[in-house]
Amino acid sequence: MKERPITIAKIRNGIVIDHIPAGEALAIFQVLGLNALARETGDIIAVGVNFDSASIGRKDIIKVENLSLTLEMLNVVALIAPHATVSRIEDGEVKEKNKVTIPQEVGDIVICPDRFCITNHEEVPGKFIVIDGEPVTLKCYYCETEFFGPLIRYKERRSL
Amino acid sequence: MNFQGKDIISMNDLTREEIDHILAKVDQVRNLPEKGRLCAGKVCAMMFFEPSTRTRTSFEVAMRNLGGEVGGFYDRKITSAEKDESLWDTVKMHDGYGFNVIVIRHPLKGAARLAAEAAEIPVINAGDGPNQHPTQTLLDLYSLQETQGRIDGLTIAMVGDLANGRTVHSMTEALLKYTDCRMIFISPRDLAMPRFLIDKCRKVGAQRNITVEEGSRIEDYISEVDVLYMTRIQVERLEERMAVVEKLRSIYRLEAGMLRNARPTMKVMHPLPRVTEIAPDVDATPHAYYFEQARNGLFVRETLLALILGAVQ
Repeated sequence: MKERPITIAKIRNGIVIDHIPAGEALAIFQVLGLNALARETGDIIAVGVNFDSASIGRKDIIKVENLSLTLEMLNVVALIAPHATVSRIEDGEVKEKNKVTIPQEVGDIVICPDRFCITNHEEVPGKFIVIDGEPVTLKCYYCETEFFGPLIRYKERRSL
Repeated sequence: MNFQGKDIISMNDLTREEIDHILAKVDQVRNLPEKGRLCAGKVCAMMFFEPSTRTRTSFEVAMRNLGGEVGGFYDRKITSAEKDESLWDTVKMHDGYGFNVIVIRHPLKGAARLAAEAAEIPVINAGDGPNQHPTQTLLDLYSLQETQGRIDGLTIAMVGDLANGRTVHSMTEALLKYTDCRMIFISPRDLAMPRFLIDKCRKVGAQRNITVEEGSRIEDYISEVDVLYMTRIQVERLEERMAVVEKLRSIYRLEAGMLRNARPTMKVMHPLPRVTEIAPDVDATPHAYYFEQARNGLFVRETLLALILGAVQ
């Protein structure tokens, strides 16, 4: 195999989200509101795309130099990357490593695909029930529309 | 089982036991000698953002029959919604006026659920766009029970525009809570029952001995069914295709002569308004049940109001 020496530097305190299917890092970036986090805290975030992975071939990886993201907040990652792992690094040591689990309900991170849904006409934060994990299928809490696949469009989280 | 203070937003929120409880209460409330005093001093807010004939009138009469009063509005043009007031704010305001229950109809899906979140008092969904209209479904189920003595084990054909009809979708989902039913969907291919719903019927139905089949001619099934549930071809959704509408209207039309081989107990139902899908000569046959069905809407709404306002348990 060709040498591919690019790596992302280790972080001292923060969260590493690993085993993201290649190409999905930016969706996760949006859903977690990492833009807002970077802007408001000034903390460093590194995103790696298309790294070699023994288990999934190609993978993306995100390192966030910030400890405020809880596992509960990070579980939404499972909607996009069901096999992602989340490591908590403190003082350069891996303190905790968890697999993300699909939450039963998610908040205002998705746009309801039904244009007649009240959430697309008034300022109502969306709420969705996860009715299936394989494939990920959501149901709008308000209009009861069930949807999956490309109909799931993630929103950019604009504040922490 | 206690319904006091409970919202009625979607049939999906109700278990079979809860539905059966409501249906059983209807007969009781309907004939209660003290019915006229059950909700004395209670006021119902009618928030109608969209026109309605039967639902609105029957809720009004229901509240009056229980000794209560109604207030509110029937036209969004005379409200501040016309000035872009949000639904949330409009509901909050009504919530603070001392009403005891809100009945809401709105053209957008999910509006009733949002209203229920905004209001402290209970909310009844009287139709949120093409999504849910639970009091219609409850009156349909009551009509099945009333005419056939049961819901389990019935053979029901649903006819007409099954693609766009909210009532038939809701009825199908509700029947999936029962057992041993045979559902027959009769429609032109263009207006067939949505695929996801048929898939759901096959999946859920397998555990409950419920079968579904699709057909295209009423005549093929008329002698086998307990209930023929007719629906209107929704012209407003096929506007640009008037030729199609005319063709469908001539095919999906029930006439008295077609009922010759029907079971004696078979009933023809329709959520109304009917246009041309049921010929007037059907009205005089013992099978016609649509006007009684509409009247059942009054009894079901009386019962729901009485349950939610805590006047009966």
